[in-house]
Amino acid sequence: MSDVENKERSAVQAVVAGGMGGDAVHYDVIDAIRRGEGVEPTVHGEMAEVDSVIQTDDFKLWYGVAQAIHGISMDVPRGAVTALIGPSGCGKSTLLRSINRMNDLVDGVRVEGGITLNGAAVYEPTVDVIELRKRLGMVFQKPNPFPMSIFENVVYPLRIDGERRKSVLQDACERSLKSAAIWDEVKDRLKESALGLSGGQQQRLCIARAVVADPEVLLLDEPCSALDPVATIRIEELITEISERYTVLIVTHNMQQAARVSDYTAFMYLGRLVEYGPTGAMFQNPKLIETAHYVSGRFG
Amino acid sequence: MSDQVNQHATKRRTLPSAVGEPMVWLTGSALVLCLGMIAVLLVLVVSNGLRTFWPGDIDRMTLEGGEQVMGIRVAEDSEGRYLYRVGNRDIGQESFRWIDGEAIVEIEQPDDAVMLERESWGVWFGMPESISVLNDEGELHKVTDGSGETLDAFGEMHAAARIRRAQGEAMRKRELGKINRGIEAARLAISEAELGVDQRASASDRLGWVSWALVLASVVFAGLVWWVKRDAGVGIGAAGVRVGKMTRFGCAVVVIFGGIGLWVGGPWKTVGVTGETRDGVIAASAMEQERLQVEYERVLGEIRAGEDVDSRERFVVVEPTTGRFAPIAQTRGDEPMMLSQVVRLVQANRLGFFGKVKVFGGRWWEFVSTGPREANTEGGVYPVIVGTVLLTLLLTVFVTPLGVIAALYLREYAVQGFGTSVIRVAVNNLAGVPSIVYGVFGLGFFCYTVGRYVDTGPVAGSALSSGVWWGLFGLAVVTAIGSFGCSLWGKPDPGHPPSVVHRVLSKLSWLGWGVTVVLLVMVVARTPYFMGFFGARAAEGSPTFGARGLLWASLTLALLTLPVVIVATEEAIAAVPNSMREGSFGCGASKWQTIRRIVLPGAMPGILTGAILAMARGAGEVAPLMLVGAVKLNMDLPVSTTAPFLHADRSFMHLGFHIYDLGFQSPDSQAARPMVWTTTLLFLLIVFALNLAAIMIRAKLRGRTTGAAI
Ligand SMILES: Nc1ncnc2c1ncn2[C@@H]1O[C@H](COP(=O)(O)OP(=O)(O)OP(=O)(O)O)[C@@H](O)[C@H]1O
Ligand SMILES: [Mg+2]
Repeated sequence: MSDVENKERSAVQAVVAGGMGGDAVHYDVIDAIRRGEGVEPTVHGEMAEVDSVIQTDDFKLWYGVAQAIHGISMDVPRGAVTALIGPSGCGKSTLLRSINRMNDLVDGVRVEGGITLNGAAVYEPTVDVIELRKRLGMVFQKPNPFPMSIFENVVYPLRIDGERRKSVLQDACERSLKSAAIWDEVKDRLKESALGLSGGQQQRLCIARAVVADPEVLLLDEPCSALDPVATIRIEELITEISERYTVLIVTHNMQQAARVSDYTAFMYLGRLVEYGPTGAMFQNPKLIETAHYVSGRFG
Repeated sequence: MSDQVNQHATKRRTLPSAVGEPMVWLTGSALVLCLGMIAVLLVLVVSNGLRTFWPGDIDRMTLEGGEQVMGIRVAEDSEGRYLYRVGNRDIGQESFRWIDGEAIVEIEQPDDAVMLERESWGVWFGMPESISVLNDEGELHKVTDGSGETLDAFGEMHAAARIRRAQGEAMRKRELGKINRGIEAARLAISEAELGVDQRASASDRLGWVSWALVLASVVFAGLVWWVKRDAGVGIGAAGVRVGKMTRFGCAVVVIFGGIGLWVGGPWKTVGVTGETRDGVIAASAMEQERLQVEYERVLGEIRAGEDVDSRERFVVVEPTTGRFAPIAQTRGDEPMMLSQVVRLVQANRLGFFGKVKVFGGRWWEFVSTGPREANTEGGVYPVIVGTVLLTLLLTVFVTPLGVIAALYLREYAVQGFGTSVIRVAVNNLAGVPSIVYGVFGLGFFCYTVGRYVDTGPVAGSALSSGVWWGLFGLAVVTAIGSFGCSLWGKPDPGHPPSVVHRVLSKLSWLGWGVTVVLLVMVVARTPYFMGFFGARAAEGSPTFGARGLLWASLTLALLTLPVVIVATEEAIAAVPNSMREGSFGCGASKWQTIRRIVLPGAMPGILTGAILAMARGAGEVAPLMLVGAVKLNMDLPVSTTAPFLHADRSFMHLGFHIYDLGFQSPDSQAARPMVWTTTLLFLLIVFALNLAAIMIRAKLRGRTTGAAI
């Protein structure tokens, strides 16, 4: 399905929807997905031009017999923030965890199609999964600081690389705590347990931990879902700030957040990519009525 | 409206089972019952245990027939009979005696009545009469006369005599012991040299220079390959991850096994003991033996001289029934005892409260700091405490790492499924195996199989010929590398379920590991190159490790308590939140790094709980110990100041076994009964102290690993 066709169809739908009133909208794409039919994603033209760091190619994933991802092909642009949105259970976390192969830890996972990082296939027996994860920093939905001191938490990725030099560790710790905007709050209590921090501080600590070893890509899975608005704002600022240095892929349920922090947005539904494009276009001028309604909270 | 509501309310009934009170009472009383029984146990043990050492008053009774009896009342029954401890066993009476209350004509508590605790033959009740000194002609001269004077002089003279005796004993133990060990070593050296000649393998049995050089070359080559290929297949997109791993593993195995082979089969070892060197060794040892023998006589002479002085001071204490004094020995009733044979004199009727407390404290101190006397019914339990504590510590040291590693594999590495469930059930069932079964196993396997192997090497005739041995050795290398390869290629590709080939390969790898282990066991058990570490002594019929001892006992108990540790550790590991593991993996940590840095520290309090439970279980276990190492009496502590400091081969004394021995094996069960209580109390205290120490360590660790909640 081409962009033009798509646009036409959604325009028609919009007219129909407008004519029949809000309640009786027909979501063609989503209905098709619900019926289990394959649907070509609506990908904005701008996406073809970007330099991508991660590419998924018709990626499918099964948990046992249940398929969670039904062939997603998308390119994640280098040096930008890309948001994954979609209703609960649509496979955002699964997709994110497939990139750094965290799904290897789940029994009975099967994949088809491929994911590449800088052109190198991720799902290959030749890939050292540890090396892969070192290149992809990950922050989870629930803050998960380790039960150790704040300092040890931050330098954990360096420690497992065998770094022992005190000065290197201290420098790295300070640098990443600063880039996670938490340095001022914890600089006097680096030796204290990280479990004594507040939830928001813990999440920023996890971000500091994720960036300390200079990963290429930062994978954030709903990093603010457990936080209050103030902490959320801080983390959003932080994401904007660090996106200058890293590629960020963020899963979020918060549309404002997606609009504020991301450069590109992908809308997923039931394991399929529905629409993918620059955030501005996705929020102000989406090609599908589903997207329009989802980002404005009228459906989902 | 309100009518409707009321109607509705009347329709619903409240069942009796919905009323909470009965359950509160039921559960509450069950708890009270449990606590009550434990409290009764504690009260019983504590009160009886504490009473033993409290000095009672000494009664002197005149019975109806005119007979006089002296003793301390310890119990009475409902028929008005009293149980008296009357001691004086060496003049032929029972040391405890029931006396009918009605038969007693008169009871008095004379001030001068004393109770003597003696080195042998239990206590003696009587009235002190004199302290005498034996002159050269063998006649006794009174130094003091009459009880008052005697008691006044006793304190100082007794203290001096005791010190003299202690010095003599210390010399016997230390210096004579040292000389004895020297003589023994020289004797062993001789018999070893004699054995050595015909035991050494001939030159052809060992690797010759050519094969040795070949093995060395392959070791060096493998080392080089390892170095060159150390980065092969590491990194994203790098080809040949499996081949790289395989190469490194193979090289490591070749280097390690080759190294062992070189060490075992080095041709320089073919030099056996020649006749000449043997004769030299024998001559030197014989000379050393002679020199030590002279030294022995000299020291013995010194000790004897001290003992001679000692034997001159005599203490005459007369008992009222027959008017006889406490004899120097049961067979020499006509000679009064030596002053130094008195351990403690208690003039019970003259003691005030604090005096009694002092005696009480003194007796406790003696109890925990000296060895037992008199078939364990008198004296202390110092070696017993040392044995118990050592055993408990050793078993904990053995069982904890073993159990933790097993649980780690079961929970973190093994694929959860039917196999792991079966293993879990089996482990839990192991906890239910009667402990005596472990004792039988320990005796048969540890003492008689492993221990004998350590002593003398493979059983005569079972050693393989060197050709077969090297063949098996090489085969083990091949199967190890092969099974590693199978397990590498048996792992499914990422994101794909295992195919049939993968399944077959991983099964093969298990099989291969099994074969490797069997081969290794055979290679070790039937090696022609190992003659045992203590062959000479074993040949004389006194095995070192091939008999019951501390090491085997603690290993047996470790096996017995293994399920406790495994179960506790598994639970603790399972309680570490998965988000921690994910966080660690997300940082690029390997499985082992995650386990070491996240899982183990998080599970540490739980693991320590397991260790504590195991320790408590092991400390209280007696049945298997009877088979694998606890003995009635062994004053040689398993620890000493001479190398190797911890003598794990020695048999030891154990409080649990000691209690059993006191209660059921004692020749004088009445005398032993109070000691049973006291020993029980002490046992409880020690187990309690050990647990408390462990709990404190755990609390400290817990404080370090966890912080305040959010
Ligand atoms: N470990 C698992 N085993 C089996 N099914 C799983 C597992 N994890 C996720 N799923 C299923 O895969 C689908 C996608 O789940 P996923 O967690 O990726 O959704 P999500 O988009 O992240 O949802 P949310 O926004 O609620 O986090 C869901 O249907 C879920 O039930
Ligand atoms: Mg999710």
